Amino acid sequence: MQNILLFSILGLASGAIIATIAIGVVLSWRGSGTINIAAGAVVMVAGYIFWCLRTGYFAPALMMVPAVLLTLVLMALLAVVVEVVAVKPLRTASPLARLVASIGVLLLFQAAVQLVFGTAPVDSPAVLSAEVVEVVGVTVPIAHFILAGVVVVLALALSMLYRFTRFGLATRAASENERSAILAGLSPDSLSLANSVIAYVVAGLVGVLAASVVGVSASTLPLLIVPALAAALLANFTSFGIACAAGLAIGIGESLLFYASTQSWFPTQDGFALPGMQQVAEFFLIVIALWWRGSSLPQRGETAGRSLPPVPRQERLVRRAAPVVLACAVALVVLPSDFRQAVTTGLVATVLCLSFVVIMGYVGQLSVVQLALAGLGAFTVSRLGTEFGIGFPLGPIIAIALATVLGVAIGAAALRVRGITLVVVTLAAAIAIEQFVFANARWGGGQTGAPVESPTLFGVNLGADASFPGLNGTLPSPLFGLLALVGTVVLYAFVANLRRGDLGRRMLAVRSNERAAAAVGVNVRAVKIVAFGIASALAGTAGVMYAYNYSTVSAGSYGIAIALTLVASVYVLGVTLVQGAVLAGFGAIGAVVPLILQKWVLPQDQISIWVQLIIGVGLLVQLKLFPDGLLVGMELKKERRAEHKAQSEPSVVSPRVEEGVPA
Amino acid sequence: MTQALELRGLSAGYHGSTVVRDLDLRVGRGEVVTLLGPNGAGKTTTLCAISGVIKTHGGSVTLGGEDISSVSPTRRARRGIAHVPEDRGLFFGLTVAEHLKLGRRGEHLDAELAYKYFPALAAITNRRAGVMSGGEQQMLALGRALARQPGLLLLDELSLGLAPVIVERLLPVIRQFADETGCGVLLVEQHVQLALGIADRAYLMGHGEGSTSYDASELLNDTRLIEASYLGGDDLDLESLATDHNQKIYERETQ
Amino acid sequence: MIQPVLDARGISVHYGGVTALDEVDIAVGPGQVVGLIGPNGAGKTTFIDALTGFVRHEGTVRLDGVDLKRKRPHARVQAGLGRTWQAVDLFDDLSVAENIAVAAHRPTLVSTLRELLGATLPQSAAVASSLEALDIAHLAEARPRELAEGQRKLVGIARSLAAAPKVLCLDEPAAGLDTDESAVLGQQLRRLADDGQSMLLIDHDISFVFGTCDHVVVLEFGKVIAAGLPGDVKNDPRVIAAYLGTAAASISGERS
Ligand SMILES: Nc1ncnc2c1ncn2[C@@H]1O[C@H](COP(=O)(O)OP(=O)(O)OP(=O)(O)O)[C@@H](O)[C@H]1O
Ligand SMILES: Nc1ncnc2c1ncn2[C@@H]1O[C@H](COP(=O)(O)OP(=O)(O)OP(=O)(O)O)[C@@H](O)[C@H]1O
Ligand SMILES: [Mg+2]
Ligand SMILES: [Mg+2]
Repeated sequence: MQNILLFSILGLASGAIIATIAIGVVLSWRGSGTINIAAGAVVMVAGYIFWCLRTGYFAPALMMVPAVLLTLVLMALLAVVVEVVAVKPLRTASPLARLVASIGVLLLFQAAVQLVFGTAPVDSPAVLSAEVVEVVGVTVPIAHFILAGVVVVLALALSMLYRFTRFGLATRAASENERSAILAGLSPDSLSLANSVIAYVVAGLVGVLAASVVGVSASTLPLLIVPALAAALLANFTSFGIACAAGLAIGIGESLLFYASTQSWFPTQDGFALPGMQQVAEFFLIVIALWWRGSSLPQRGETAGRSLPPVPRQERLVRRAAPVVLACAVALVVLPSDFRQAVTTGLVATVLCLSFVVIMGYVGQLSVVQLALAGLGAFTVSRLGTEFGIGFPLGPIIAIALATVLGVAIGAAALRVRGITLVVVTLAAAIAIEQFVFANARWGGGQTGAPVESPTLFGVNLGADASFPGLNGTLPSPLFGLLALVGTVVLYAFVANLRRGDLGRRMLAVRSNERAAAAVGVNVRAVKIVAFGIASALAGTAGVMYAYNYSTVSAGSYGIAIALTLVASVYVLGVTLVQGAVLAGFGAIGAVVPLILQKWVLPQDQISIWVQLIIGVGLLVQLKLFPDGLLVGMELKKERRAEHKAQSEPSVVSPRVEEGVPA
Repeated sequence: MTQALELRGLSAGYHGSTVVRDLDLRVGRGEVVTLLGPNGAGKTTTLCAISGVIKTHGGSVTLGGEDISSVSPTRRARRGIAHVPEDRGLFFGLTVAEHLKLGRRGEHLDAELAYKYFPALAAITNRRAGVMSGGEQQMLALGRALARQPGLLLLDELSLGLAPVIVERLLPVIRQFADETGCGVLLVEQHVQLALGIADRAYLMGHGEGSTSYDASELLNDTRLIEASYLGGDDLDLESLATDHNQKIYERETQ
Repeated sequence: MIQPVLDARGISVHYGGVTALDEVDIAVGPGQVVGLIGPNGAGKTTFIDALTGFVRHEGTVRLDGVDLKRKRPHARVQAGLGRTWQAVDLFDDLSVAENIAVAAHRPTLVSTLRELLGATLPQSAAVASSLEALDIAHLAEARPRELAEGQRKLVGIARSLAAAPKVLCLDEPAAGLDTDESAVLGQQLRRLADDGQSMLLIDHDISFVFGTCDHVVVLEFGKVIAAGLPGDVKNDPRVIAAYLGTAAASISGERS
């Protein structure tokens, strides 16, 4: 009993941080109608700024009070900078664009901090009292209570601010409908800025306290966004009180679960507690909360804003794709081995990105679970081969089927959230899979990686180690690359074709407006589930191809940070177009573009951090130029030009001219 | 009399394609002016260009004697333009009462006025706009516009979705509001007879072309003009009719 | 008495404490156009929402004798209840023709599978014919965003018509159309009705309603206050007081 109390109180500190991040998410939802994935990173930045000021990293160390104040001022300045760079240019773009921008900010903050301060966590000198108190027989630091208390007070203050002031009302109005707000004489720009500043200062305050209570770490703190998003979702992204309570509860729950895992009754494996139970529990909690809350069709008056970039028509694909296919085929034979490998990886990543085109581009559901599903497929192939002797082609078929079934199950569980809020559920699912399956030494590769047997058909080795080397006589064999090329082309054509057909039309109808779609007889649930099925099957296929390409599977390649990066890059390149998937695929980690950067452009040490920095900056620049994504933006320009030409000639959209109207 | 609004050579449209060309129009203080024209003539586009939510391609917009062509839409709204757009411009998440409180700093909305003109709203002050019926939303949009006590009222599709009794009560209210507060009203309305019933003057828009001003009561009696404009007859026709019309007025006045 | 196509009985809808509909009975016969009018907020749209399953309701909805009670919205539509929306909701990413094609095609498991395997399904003739019926064939390739409000309305009607509904519920189809255009729309709808299309029609353009409908039902505060032939309803003092006002006198072209 005492232990339970002790662990609850210990969980209070991390709960307070989760609660703060959740509050940050609610703030940005209220302020600009989007989900701020960087909310955790903002707390981290504040922690580091304070640490620098206090320990005299750059300049002479400051006393506590000036250091706190200066930190808050710097956070406010940072808010202004981020607003100008990443928010303001996207105010009229879709909320998805702003969400992607926040991923960019996250990558940028994390990479910058890691480049400057390294990856080890830092501890600030104490701000709060270092005393301990005794509660019912257990001794705990008083700072934990103060930290939690501060967060609760902040939540209360914010909810008063937004409920009772003119500013709160104006913010709600402006974030819901920008045009109407302008007509009402409000200035959405300044409101958004004010909200950003509030969010950053609040995060800054807690970051300062957290830095001294639990320490700050550039690698873990930003990822606390995941439980925080769960808390924000429970709060419907609007209630500060619920977000705060849920955040604290999650922190305490995690701590208690950790305590439970030391108990004899806890499920174990090979003498250790089963990993990932906490993440699985969180996922199910979210799903249960959704059933009790949402509805399967939006209700009357639920604003369905434009949440996605437009879908240009896709024409003359064969003519456009043919040269690329040819170039790939040649490259797969003639290039040196690391580039051959990178081209194959690019093809595989293209298949994975196609899954985003289907689920995000066509159906408008922001799902990030696909990379985890790909990992699941890859591990399944590895395990089936090594443990059960099931090889090609049965192994991959089972693996893809498994990924599809799991993906459909997750999709079905998430039917009550839609659009960008789906990111919360799918993130939780991805983490659950990562921790429960990949990190499990027996099912996944643990930290070492799992071997994969090469595929053989009728005794012929089709894998990367086939006896058919490249032009320079080295492995990997072009044979596998060429097979991957054929597979990719088929799937590319499949996804492009989907858009033009009956099913694609229904997907776009669901994406535009679920109520209106249901009213013309579209089974919205079925369409979403089919789409989840297709996306998951594509992801599973990509996973199997990854496994064969590298002949080994390691959990590190399927983490959520990579998943978020991938989603963001597909978006900025054009998520509603199949070509966007190709570009994103070849820019993915391990593919051609990063290889070039790695070989010739970037410094050799800390390469992955540099790549992350570049991607972060790239995302923001790209969004500023083409808020709907590079290829989509260019395609639209072309369409408009054609339209314009058509208008100078007799127009298609000629206004109605009626004959014989009765007077 | 000073003008509440004056447009000179206004052109506006959407990314490149010009929908409204070279429009001259003015609305005096306390005057009710209606803008008539067939489906797709560019009436909505004109109102949007005046309130600034779409960019103009050329020409000038003058509000109360001041050129506001380069003023941002937010500032225009603060200078007293109240625009009730076609989609009503409400916030689905806000209640009726909140709509009637919402304004920029220091602005006071006269909620009582809105409730006086639309008693139905008083019964549902705590209902969110999103779940209200179409007509209730329209009442809220109009009520809110009046409560802002504007200097220029732009009404797109005034009677849209309103029950006949409500329209019947509303029209004199608009007239009275204009007379009493000196607010200029520019009104777009599909039901021509209704609009002409309360308007002082009317402008006829053909497809994209500028238009001529007419006396509302004249138009009520002379349906030929409206027909010509609505049937999309070529401009020549419209112009010759217009000369014809002016000729008649001239003759009557000189008699 | 002929068996009605649509028979809704005892329909009640509550939103929290608000009773939006209270035991409303409405039947629509084959080829009949039934008008539903009433003051703002009377519950007309809610009635269509209830019929098509978008709000939870009490009472029974029968279409050609089949009880729709347990069906979800899309299944009710597939069973033959078409509807349009008061604020038009076109699919912005699809052209007008594609918008209509979504409604015209009824996918089956087999057709979906065939499509996934790369087969191209034939275009339905319903797309062209419903565009034709409303005289908007020239808009087929336009994008919804580019259309003026009145045109969007017509596309919305064409879209629900393309699903070949047994009963078509139209929520203020003439709002946003001018007097002449609504007259034309009235004629088009009348032509469809004469060809056997049953309709439930909501509108505030009373000449349009009275000129198009065979039977008119008046709602106030969620209750039926009058029902009957247009001529009778028009002169009902309660209807005049609650809804029509002095406009009653000027209704022209009414059907008897
Ligand atoms: N966002 C847009 N993009 C491109 N074209 C547009 C857009 N909005 C309107 N148009 C075109 O501009 C023309 C004028 O439209 P507008 O909405 O101003 O007409 P209107 O006179 O208000 O018609 P209605 O009576 O139907 O409301 C129409 O032909 C329409 O196709
Ligand atoms: N979710 C809801 N919660 C509370 N009240 C609601 C809700 N949905 C609708 N209402 C109310 O129910 C009443 C009926 O609305 P409905 O839309 O059916 O009216 P209507 O007859 O179609 O009116 P109109 O002619 O103005 O379109 C309205 O007063 C509306 O405000
Ligand atoms: Mg208009
Ligand atoms: Mg209605």
